[in-house]
Amino acid sequence: MTCVELHQSLAEQEDVGSWEQRTHLRECPACSTLVRELNLIVAAAGQLQEADEPSPRVWNSIEAALRQEGLIRPQRPFVSSFGARWGAARWLVPAAAMLLLALGIYMRRESQADHAAQQALVTSMGNQVASQSDLNDDELMQEVAENEPAMKTQYAENLRQVNESIRDAQGLVNESPNDADARRSLMDAYHQKSMLFEMAMDRPLP
Amino acid sequence: MPLPSHQSHANSTTQTTYAASQRVRPETGDLTEPRQQQGAEPSEADLIQRAKLGDAEAFQALYDKHKRRVYSLCLRMTANTAEAEDLAQEAFLQLYRKIATFRGESAFSTWLHRLSVNVVLMHLRKKSLPSVSLEEMTQGGEEESPKKDFGADDVALTGSIDRMQLQRAVESLPPGYRMIFVLHDIEGYEHNEIAKIAGCSIGNSKSQLHKARMKLRDLLKMNRAEKAGKSRVG
Repeated sequence: MTCVELHQSLAEQEDVGSWEQRTHLRECPACSTLVRELNLIVAAAGQLQEADEPSPRVWNSIEAALRQEGLIRPQRPFVSSFGARWGAARWLVPAAAMLLLALGIYMRRESQADHAAQQALVTSMGNQVASQSDLNDDELMQEVAENEPAMKTQYAENLRQVNESIRDAQGLVNESPNDADARRSLMDAYHQKSMLFEMAMDRPLP
Repeated sequence: MPLPSHQSHANSTTQTTYAASQRVRPETGDLTEPRQQQGAEPSEADLIQRAKLGDAEAFQALYDKHKRRVYSLCLRMTANTAEAEDLAQEAFLQLYRKIATFRGESAFSTWLHRLSVNVVLMHLRKKSLPSVSLEEMTQGGEEESPKKDFGADDVALTGSIDRMQLQRAVESLPPGYRMIFVLHDIEGYEHNEIAKIAGCSIGNSKSQLHKARMKLRDLLKMNRAEKAGKSRVG
């Protein structure tokens, strides 16, 4: 293989592992240097992948455009709008979360205790939270009604899914009252629902 | 399209392994997306879900996570800071407009990256090359390139190559060479992917890449020679 042939082969294939190429590289210092230097360039190229940071102007412009297009929820005073819309029910979500937390701690401590009593507690707590949450589904949808249609649809879909999860988990708890996994699933489902409600509330932006 | 990765660049220094033949291309692992850590930080899936609901914090967190990669790509391809910022902005805006349609079949970063490449290529085509082929985009580079014998015994490229020097050299490449080099050697795309993206043949992509590397080598050598000359004078 000549230098010209090696050079052509470099343009056609990336791997210079053929016998002819290797033989030539052993015998030709110039081509050997060429290949080594090209390898250095390739190795260094990776450093450029995330080398630069855009100026803050870029995010500011993006954020402004997102607001203009209504893709970001409009920023509104947290207390006034939330309080006005939800009134006395505004404490239901955190209250439900606290109840669930207390229930979790209680169940962990009392795992060896009376399962029948636990079951009764799980059922009653679950029912209580579920009934509170169900009452507020419509209000949640009212809250997001001002958003983009796609966003509203997303909320509706998420709400449907989380209610389904609660229903399924509740069914499992009813079937197997002593099943810790089922109880955990139910708590997780309620937790997801409370997160969804929090998402729907206005939150001051950073 | 799987997200390219150039993780093996640093290993490709042996003489008999030309270029990035050992490149790792995780189909699902996606090395640019670290596994979700247990802790307070929300996962990318959570952020995407929240962004779908219009959460500004989630939008910004996604931006912070991917901005360097997207902006660097735009900057490398355009060699112009202002254009790169505009294109990065456009790429993220397109992403956010479409985020409700993201179903998670592919990695989010793969989706974003492909979208960014498309935004840049569209821009380049609109800007000055409405009907110019890749071959034409690379013309001029060869004429300008100093003719040298292979491995001519001038200033040798040894040790590591300075990032800033390489960055400047890449910016000096003709647009066509630059595009192929950026996509292949920096972003880790394979030739068949580049051929689809750039609308050229695989052979053409390989040939342009080789020419781009040769041109870069010349530029880097000239740069070192200039520096060496200055230091001798000094």
